[in-house]
Amino acid sequence: MTRRRPEPEPAEPEPDRPRAATFEADALASIDSLYRTALRLTRHPADAEDLVQETYLKAFRAAGRFEPGTNLRAWLFTILHNSARNRVRDRAREAVTVDSDAAERAADRSIGAPARETPETILLRQTLAPDLQAAIDRLPESFRQAVWLRDVEEFSYAEIAEMLTIPVGTVMSRISRGRRMLFDALGAHDAALSGKAS
Amino acid sequence: MSDECKKVDSLVTPYIDGELDAGARDSVAAHLNRCPPCHARVDVERAVRDLVHERRDTLRAQPAPQALRARCAALERSRAEIPEPLVTRTWRSSATPYALAASLFLIVGGAFTYQMTARSAAVMAAELTADHVKCFALNSVLNTECNPRIIEASLATRFNWPARLPEHPERIGLQLVGERTCVYGEGRVAHIMYRRNGQPVSVFMLPNTTRPSGLVKVMGHEAAVWSDSGRTFVLIASEPREEVVRLASFVQSSLQ
Repeated sequence: MTRRRPEPEPAEPEPDRPRAATFEADALASIDSLYRTALRLTRHPADAEDLVQETYLKAFRAAGRFEPGTNLRAWLFTILHNSARNRVRDRAREAVTVDSDAAERAADRSIGAPARETPETILLRQTLAPDLQAAIDRLPESFRQAVWLRDVEEFSYAEIAEMLTIPVGTVMSRISRGRRMLFDALGAHDAALSGKAS
Repeated sequence: MSDECKKVDSLVTPYIDGELDAGARDSVAAHLNRCPPCHARVDVERAVRDLVHERRDTLRAQPAPQALRARCAALERSRAEIPEPLVTRTWRSSATPYALAASLFLIVGGAFTYQMTARSAAVMAAELTADHVKCFALNSVLNTECNPRIIEASLATRFNWPARLPEHPERIGLQLVGERTCVYGEGRVAHIMYRRNGQPVSVFMLPNTTRPSGLVKVMGHEAAVWSDSGRTFVLIASEPREEVVRLASFVQSSLQ
């Protein structure tokens, strides 16, 4: 599960300033992936921008607590998700609480769903990125996060578990269910378009 | 679903992702060979995973907006010292003449529907502080109007705010520098700029929004926040907290 190695450490310890500047430059290099992930979380560009800015504020403040040699990008994502959770808590009034039980039940229904013939061929041939994006955005939040972090942002199960504060086993089951729900969503789309999927 | 199927089910995802050790991988593969339903489910999940991987570059194509990038980079440059929780102060202290040294910006905002309350005070203060620094840097080039009557007329027109700027700001050491409209959130804010002993002081006015009064320390600056008549004011200066409180009290009591 150690797929991404952290940046190699400088051979010699550098004085404080350049080191801090490097930390901040490295942190800013993740802004695109933080922003698009924030977009998936909030679904509103303005909220996503807020969230990213708050993430950097907190990250620069807490720079001293970052352990060099660990994955800076994963650390930033953890801050992003913590901030997002706090916001949801703060905004109880519009907490469209994802009914996670209902989501789990919905996901359960797709377990054991009959496989279509050559699903891979159908999906790969017909699904365009915008359709895929739309289908991902329609997934219930917990599954959307898990699939996105794993398959698009390429984090390890352990890193995702840390970000979402859930056990690794739950990470894997959410990824699994999320992918299957995505398949159902895309399969329905394909069937409607071509009548090909049986 | 047999017991064996259930056992395999929890391993399907790491199996597909290549995260199992050799022993576990072989036993899952052996089960899949003799269990078509499980095999089919693996095919489905793998197909989706492969599809997402295939389209990954496009899914990642949306970059962060330039303005956001600039704001975050500004945070970096100032090596942010970020806020303690908002401290509430008694802003309604009486206005007494002050003789201080610093610069003061007054920022006044326009049509503004953004949910201010959704933003943390820290984020707001940080954004405005970034503007504070930026506008002063620009101002030396733009040479904005510093006649208070002209600024007031402009505020009335653009922000529907019949403002009266503080008379005799020099009482507290402030010199009016100019006024600009800044973009903040999804609206516009007015940014009134002063100098105090050569240093910039900003007052921002954010229309159609109220926030709790308080002080926020951000990016080496102190930001004082208060609201009046449905408008929120934020005074920002790089001064000791007590001085910022005095400046804010002065502006609050003399700005109409």
